[in-house]
Amino acid sequence: MEDPLREPDSSLREPQDLLRELAPQVLGTLVRRHGQFDACEDAVQEALLAAALQWAETGVPENPRSWLMTVASRRLVDEWRSESARRRREETDAVLELPTQALASDEDDTLTLVFLCCHPSLSVPSQLALTLRAVGGLSTTEIANAFLVPEATMGQRISRAKQTLKSSGIRFDLPPPAERADRLRVVLQVLYLMFNEGYTTSSGPALQRADLTTEATRLAAMLHQLMPAEGEVAGLLALMLLTDARRAARSNADGSVVPLDEQQRARWNMAQIEAGVALLTRTLGKVPIGPYQLQAAIAAVHDEAPTASETDWPQILALYEVLEQVSPGPVVTLNRAVALAMVNGPRAGLALLGTLDGDERMAHTHRLDAVRGHLLELAGELVAAREAYQRAARMTASLPEQRYLALRAARLA
Amino acid sequence: MKYMIMMFGDAATMMEQQPREWIVEMMDFMHKLNDDLTKSGELVDAQGLTDGSQAKTVRFQNGIPVVTDGPFAESKESIIGYWIVDVESEARAIEIASRVVAFIGPAGAPPVEVRHIMDAPPEV
Repeated sequence: MEDPLREPDSSLREPQDLLRELAPQVLGTLVRRHGQFDACEDAVQEALLAAALQWAETGVPENPRSWLMTVASRRLVDEWRSESARRRREETDAVLELPTQALASDEDDTLTLVFLCCHPSLSVPSQLALTLRAVGGLSTTEIANAFLVPEATMGQRISRAKQTLKSSGIRFDLPPPAERADRLRVVLQVLYLMFNEGYTTSSGPALQRADLTTEATRLAAMLHQLMPAEGEVAGLLALMLLTDARRAARSNADGSVVPLDEQQRARWNMAQIEAGVALLTRTLGKVPIGPYQLQAAIAAVHDEAPTASETDWPQILALYEVLEQVSPGPVVTLNRAVALAMVNGPRAGLALLGTLDGDERMAHTHRLDAVRGHLLELAGELVAAREAYQRAARMTASLPEQRYLALRAARLA
Repeated sequence: MKYMIMMFGDAATMMEQQPREWIVEMMDFMHKLNDDLTKSGELVDAQGLTDGSQAKTVRFQNGIPVVTDGPFAESKESIIGYWIVDVESEARAIEIASRVVAFIGPAGAPPVEVRHIMDAPPEV
């Protein structure tokens, strides 16, 4: 198992990995120089494609970064020449204003690129698609496959996202300090959604979906390298590592869901758990606590239990209590109810669940009834448990989960 | 999130009852809608089905599957077409459906139905 947090070393990398890592650096530098995100992004995609073809035959060049930069710049110039007449007319139609500072590091450029792709003016599907392409270096085909939409649809989504950035005249600069925390929250949310999108076997070829999880983790690791002092970035990366470590045990060969307490823990990825725990240990207590760090800490407690029955539920309960103060919400309360049930018995958990009845935010989710079914089953109220599972099965939008809940209900018949 | 937006009714009867101008407008409208959804990067698929009168219905009768001509639902309630869209939220899917209803509703068409396609990650 590779260390997921390893430092990049170009001589040891597969050409494809190297390309994906260099993509945002090359793009960032080009945009900083020329200020035209739209055209630069296309040029970099073409350079990546050319590199993938050529490097496979001739091997990786001595300086792959400048190879890519040269090819992408050439494409850009070609593009400008062929459009020169039109461009002259539109000279004032700047895509992105040139930044004030002339010099910036690769790190800043890549980071700026991430913030740009996760700009709040874009819809969430656009943020995901653009981040995967411009920062992740994935092709439109790969992204379309991952989201199970036609390639033309994804191509259109990406070009529209670029158009939106263009027309709103957003500068290629890091967000000002006053906005930085809010903007970072959006970036983390985009990576978290990308991770979750892949963390499913609900539809489509499982492998392609799992790639999204891998990609989200890779991007979070990159972000962590760029912003090592940001506790929530470290927290999100740790959460991804600690959650994804269970991937192999999380579903059966037929795609059916295996709940945490029934998973074969020998199939968990121990190297990844260790990396996640180590990262979390380095982070906790040194920076302000945040929801991702807390969720990672909860995942770590689960991951470190040798068997389900040895899970340190009092600690998980304590962590959920802190999480509820830091980031209150009905889903946190729901999870705290499970922990409370494991510590003080199912009745205590059910009583806490009762406080969520009538909460508008829970009216359209299956989760409340799924948890209620579980706790009722633990309490020995099998008829009520069955009804709760059935209600949950009707409400979920996840096919494997619906099957799981339906089987759970049928088992109690 | 993917949604299926379903249209019901009896296209033949509606077209018989509506003036030519409306039919032309309707075709333009559908074309424009699909075009907009393509441009916004939201369209996954859009199909029209043959008229319900052309449907075959397969029932289990006397221990075997039996085929009859015609739709299962009343002809005027039969599905005649659908869009599959990949959108940011349910609200956006409803917005698209509303645009359809605002056009076909005044001509007496039945309501359209919006259904979330099972594509969420499991949470158990």
